[in-house]
Amino acid sequence: MNIKEIKKEKAIVLMIEGRLDSSSSGMLEKKILSLLETGEKNFLVDFSGMDYISSAGLRVLLMAAKKTKPAGGKVVLSALTDNVKEVFDIAGFISVFSIFATQEEAIQSF
Amino acid sequence: MEFRLKNDLAEIQLLAEAVETFGEENDLPVKAIFQVNLALDELLTNTISYGYPEGGQHEILVRVILQQEDMLLIEIRDDGFAFNPLENEEPDITKDIDEWPIGGLGIHLVRQMLDELEYTREHDQNILVMRKCINLS
Repeated sequence: MNIKEIKKEKAIVLMIEGRLDSSSSGMLEKKILSLLETGEKNFLVDFSGMDYISSAGLRVLLMAAKKTKPAGGKVVLSALTDNVKEVFDIAGFISVFSIFATQEEAIQSF
Repeated sequence: MEFRLKNDLAEIQLLAEAVETFGEENDLPVKAIFQVNLALDELLTNTISYGYPEGGQHEILVRVILQQEDMLLIEIRDDGFAFNPLENEEPDITKDIDEWPIGGLGIHLVRQMLDELEYTREHDQNILVMRKCINLS
């Protein structure tokens, strides 16, 4: 898995490439925690390059949502591929996160 | 197909690639193979993360067999700590996210991805036998 980080005016964009699973989710967790420490509270996680997510990946997103909320921030998601969308559906995460078709639409939500 | 993996999370991806190849060779729908791989990932992540508190290198055996043209039989055998994942409490996904149990999500996904799951403990091994109906249409 690779994470590309882009700092935009309204949020930090994290573009995930590859698999977000139990062996890679720690990398994303560390990245988000270190950004939170520097005062960032708005995150846009873009999944257009990500073809796989397991519960370990979902847990990191949930952690990020919980930690940004008290600071008045949020986590929004964009460009879910079909397999990833199915996992979100079954996990009940569709109702938990704001999900947008494209990164451009998602950035407007901040 | 048969695959032996070490108790190392990074090996799960190698198994997933082998299962994908098996799916291609047998003309199985990509979606069904994705679902099988997700279930295997969730179960093996549990086993590898919590099944060997004493550490050391262990081997886990995974078999995937096409039983009929529309039925996959999947088996995991490991010599880890006795653990029946089917006894894990399911999360109530209608509740607020703050109330979800952390560990229940993986097994919830497994139950949704597969059709039958059966756990036995035999000769100090955990044996999980699972079935997946494949929609060929």
